[in-house]
Amino acid sequence: MNSSIPPVLKLTRISRSFGKVKAVNNISLEIAKGEVIGLTGENGAGKSTLLKILAGIERPDEGTMEINGKVANFRSPNDAFRAGVGVVHQEQSLFTNLTIAENIDQQNTARPGLSRFGCQDWGRINREAAAVLKKIGVDLDPRTRVGDLSFVDRQMVEIARAVCVEADGQGTPLIILDEPTAVLEQAEVEVLEREIRKLREFASVIFVSHRLDEVLRICDRVLVMRHGVLTSDRSTRGVTRDELFRAMVDEAPTIEAHPRSGRPRDLKPAIEVRNLSRAGVFRDISFAAYSGRITALVGTNGSGRGALMRAIFGAVAHDAGTIVVEGRDVSHWSIREAVQAGLAYVPAERKTEGMIGGYSGTRNIALVHRGDAMIGPFLRPRRLEKTAQGWFDRLDVNPNDIAQPLDQFSGGNQQKVVLAKWLNSPDLKVLMLDHPLRGLDVGVSQTVNAEIRQACEHGTAVILIPDTIEEALELADEIFVMRDGQLSAHHDMSLASDLAIKEIVAEMV
Amino acid sequence: MRQILSRSTNGPIGMIAALLALIIVFSLLNPRFGSVENLQNVLFQVSVPLIIVVGTSLVIQMGSIDLSVEGVMGAAGMAWILLSPNTRLETDIGVWAWVVALGIGLGFGLLTGAIYAKLKVPSFVVSLGTWYVGLGVAILLYGNSLLPSLTSETLARWPTRLTLGLPNSFWLAAVVLMVGVLISHYTRFGRGLMAIGNNEPIARSNGMPVDRYKIAAFSVAGTLCGLAGILATMQLGSGSPDIGFGQLFVVIPAAVIGGTALSGGEGGVLRSALGVFLLIILNNGLVLAGVDPDFQSGVFGTILLIAVIAVAWPQRGRLKVAK
Repeated sequence: MNSSIPPVLKLTRISRSFGKVKAVNNISLEIAKGEVIGLTGENGAGKSTLLKILAGIERPDEGTMEINGKVANFRSPNDAFRAGVGVVHQEQSLFTNLTIAENIDQQNTARPGLSRFGCQDWGRINREAAAVLKKIGVDLDPRTRVGDLSFVDRQMVEIARAVCVEADGQGTPLIILDEPTAVLEQAEVEVLEREIRKLREFASVIFVSHRLDEVLRICDRVLVMRHGVLTSDRSTRGVTRDELFRAMVDEAPTIEAHPRSGRPRDLKPAIEVRNLSRAGVFRDISFAAYSGRITALVGTNGSGRGALMRAIFGAVAHDAGTIVVEGRDVSHWSIREAVQAGLAYVPAERKTEGMIGGYSGTRNIALVHRGDAMIGPFLRPRRLEKTAQGWFDRLDVNPNDIAQPLDQFSGGNQQKVVLAKWLNSPDLKVLMLDHPLRGLDVGVSQTVNAEIRQACEHGTAVILIPDTIEEALELADEIFVMRDGQLSAHHDMSLASDLAIKEIVAEMV
Repeated sequence: MRQILSRSTNGPIGMIAALLALIIVFSLLNPRFGSVENLQNVLFQVSVPLIIVVGTSLVIQMGSIDLSVEGVMGAAGMAWILLSPNTRLETDIGVWAWVVALGIGLGFGLLTGAIYAKLKVPSFVVSLGTWYVGLGVAILLYGNSLLPSLTSETLARWPTRLTLGLPNSFWLAAVVLMVGVLISHYTRFGRGLMAIGNNEPIARSNGMPVDRYKIAAFSVAGTLCGLAGILATMQLGSGSPDIGFGQLFVVIPAAVIGGTALSGGEGGVLRSALGVFLLIILNNGLVLAGVDPDFQSGVFGTILLIAVIAVAWPQRGRLKVAK
């Protein structure tokens, strides 16, 4: 590296503790101009805290941080922004009722001209937004309402906002993308990858992701954190998944080869959908799921598979077609009837639909099935607690405290409780999961998948909307591919064992 | 202008169509409905709620609500008439009466806004409280002596006098409406209210002065209620603590019919104004159509329910939460 150009980011012995826990422990690293760095590690490895320090949300206890050769002492996110650090947070932070231009302008702290006097200078705002969008190579009209955009386009607006960092005029901006792919589908991830390649022309990028394949594909270098420590800092050239995996988790990887259930189809399906349609969302869908088998629905975000699952569960209406459960026509049932018939649905929006954040683990698990914990209309709290404790122990929920409000748990542990709520059913016939592994680390993902398999072994029919095609290939007995609201392909995995991802992607788009 | 129209989610076209349909139906039922006198009468009636609805919309756009309208109108209206030429007191201070009355409105708005923003009490309850404080002030000012009536012919006639064929009341409301539209679309404050209504935590984390905007929005609403109180008093020609009676029942439904979601972040001043026109014309038309006065409240309420259902219809869904 040319010594006259200082690194874009230089951390020297940065540490940050919360109580006794050293969330970030003595981390030193450098990022050069135009480099794309992958940052990975399990949930709770300290990635988030490190990012918060870079973004000016947390302050380090020890160590120094230099941005473009200048010592940085951030007191607020605004300081970080002014120094040239732009962050795209994991949760979307856009105003859906405002235009793209207004959202980009929110970040702008310097207000020239009319705006200085509190006026909304639409001309300037739209012009500036158009310029930024052009710079990052995104073709969107700045006057579009953000609420009308797809996920990946919103992600682009977030990136545009981050790119607006001032960076002293000549310094290189540092763009941090915190798990940007978690909510994206395969085809959209490619759009994002192209975008990152474009960003490196004028910025350095830190890309945080759980998906090692992506990190290896997109980044020049990959950093792995474990328990607050940097355990690996290597070029992506020549490093293997296994090596990264070993740096992430304590023990050697134990990805057992799970044989597919291999259970043959019963004569009658557990649930069958015939010619189901909802105008503009999905059309003429027919498929069946069988007891003891996992059926995966793959497709892009707009393919309609999420809405299809919700329609089966009675959460959205459909216009035509029938749903049959054990020979009974249940086409227009309510969610309540679906649950009573033994259906379960783990939604993709965990925080808003899957759980009640202010409720404890006990109360969340008791939301649906209470078993023997009722005497007439009265609850028996002791029994509920015993049940909840059983699940917490079985799923290794951390912290193991059934009384703590669920919104104080990490996403992975929340998901375990959401799953427990449904698994607690005495007679689970159909388990439907929409992106069950979204945002989960490797360890939790294994727990969740193991529970799905076990439910399956006990005779539940599983319908899965996976995050990735790999997930579908690993778990599913049958794969249905959806495109533009219609089924475009069907694969019985016991017959087509060497199905390639590429083939499925081709059927998706 | 294109910005304003493109921003409306389901467009004001439906409302304008409904408005035209109402006008046609009522004209057929009673030819007097379409007469110049009646249209001037409608514009006269529409002016007070139009002024109020500008503030109401700004407040609702940020996801709050201001119920104090009628109390603030009473206090400001009473203060104004007692400081203008009237039959009870010799305390005419001329144009300063306006300043004091608007100041009372502003004061109530500041109070509501400050308690709401700084002490984090829901605006629903705070403004319910300031409503009755305002009403209390108005009742004290009213006392139990002589009814204060306007003695100045100029003032008493001003609201009904025509300028360019339209009543002065309406011109005043139109100016307020214009300013309201400018505020909500062409100031950072106005756009900020929309942002707060959409997602307050993000607005805060972007460094937006959320508390200041909240207090300012309630101050604007309070001041406009003060102005509405003055105008209503002038229209009536005498002071009354109940001068604002029934206005809340017009402006909040008008905002909702106009597509301003009570949860915030949607709608706009202009569309709420269309809502006001819709309701006032409905009321006026029912009278002219000869609906028995004893039935009018019931019919008005029923039609209001139908209108609100029609507005909410496109957004219905099994998992939609309405509170």
